[in-house]
Amino acid sequence: MNSFSIRSLFAILLLTVTPLPNLRSNDLDHTKDALEFTLNRLLDVLHASHSNAPYSDKKDRIIGILDQQFSFDVIIQRSLGRNWNKLNDSQKDQVYTLITDLVLQSYTRELQDGPRPELTFYKPKVITSSKIEIESIVLLDESKINISYRLANIKDRGWQVYDVLVEGISMVSNYRKQFDEHFLKKSASELIDLLKTKLQEA
Amino acid sequence: MKILIPSGIPFAIIAMWALLSKAGAEDFVDLDDLLEMDELLDDDGTLVREGSAAIADPLKGLNLAFFGFNDAVYKNIFQPFTLQYVRVIPKEARKGIGNFFNNLEYPRRLTGSLLQFRFGRASQETGKFLINTTAGMAGFMDATQEFEALQPPKEDIGQAFGTWGFKHGFYFVLPFLGPTSLRDFVGRIGGNYVDPTSEPCTQVDDSTDRMILTAVDTVNDLPDIIDIYNSITGSAIDPYTAVRDGYAQLRAVQVAE
Repeated sequence: MNSFSIRSLFAILLLTVTPLPNLRSNDLDHTKDALEFTLNRLLDVLHASHSNAPYSDKKDRIIGILDQQFSFDVIIQRSLGRNWNKLNDSQKDQVYTLITDLVLQSYTRELQDGPRPELTFYKPKVITSSKIEIESIVLLDESKINISYRLANIKDRGWQVYDVLVEGISMVSNYRKQFDEHFLKKSASELIDLLKTKLQEA
Repeated sequence: MKILIPSGIPFAIIAMWALLSKAGAEDFVDLDDLLEMDELLDDDGTLVREGSAAIADPLKGLNLAFFGFNDAVYKNIFQPFTLQYVRVIPKEARKGIGNFFNNLEYPRRLTGSLLQFRFGRASQETGKFLINTTAGMAGFMDATQEFEALQPPKEDIGQAFGTWGFKHGFYFVLPFLGPTSLRDFVGRIGGNYVDPTSEPCTQVDDSTDRMILTAVDTVNDLPDIIDIYNSITGSAIDPYTAVRDGYAQLRAVQVAE
């Protein structure tokens, strides 16, 4: 038989039986809430009374909202992969701006057309100790679209979106294939010309 | 004050602690692991399913020709047509027609589920079909849309082949119909054998009636198809590659589900 003081016993019980402060789970919930807040703010801008204004008029506000949780530089560099190093510094800046505009212009137009979409977010899933995935459903004119956001805990930035999956299709992976195909036969300057043309057409 | 405690109690406490830790393992993952930017820019396997989404494209020249043909048809014929179609046919009517044909595709989905030994999904499909055929007035209404338990993922025979371990074979583009693969095309033909509106085991004897049914189904689906097509190609720098990779990734997800 061992003997313990009541105080020691309570101390042990408090350490073990009392639910540990669920800080990790709370952190994840906070990240999910922040993402939901960010995307609802985006919808606020897109569905404001002057919502028919062109993308260029709203661009700064849209980027200002998304920039807090979307690391566009990471998304674009991951999309280009090894091809990123084929660009000089000036081309990198241009490609960064042009792709950001092209993607945001296309996707915001879809979210802007018709009634305001309804967003539902689910509990984040842990991928690794520094990466999570947050699934969501966008109810757009009675169509349900599954959109998942992959976030990484980046030093000095916190939890940041580094990939978006639409119906399971990774945007980064899809663009990576396109850039790989482009750079098989074409140059960085041709890519910039192509992006400019696409933006004018969009 | 001292009390006597049986020697088993400390072990019980440790066991309880272990159980609590295990129960909340996911919540207690150490998420303080900060990434440097460089780490995130490496190919680290998080380019999801990149390996399994690979698809061979030995017929690329021919596929590009058909892709160009389809692109011209979609933009110059189908898109203007669908604009008029959605203007003339009310949304509720289009939805009803879509529900009707979706209900008719039950045997394809059921076969896909059964071939994967997914009996739970097969029973969900059957329940959905029975309710929609009766309470949903021959399927024109989706009477089950509020029941989460009756919304199984759509299965097909191509997916079943995928779960059996068959790869795509190769990618090809069909005129008018768009992307597919050898595996999925064989699955599609197999699906015709259980489809009540398709030959060879059709329940619709008159060939003209069959053509009309197919035409109505296709026309009614066009607005959605055009929307998806425009969505993928609108922001693409290489639309052909974007569609091919999108198809491969989507099918990989559906097989894995």
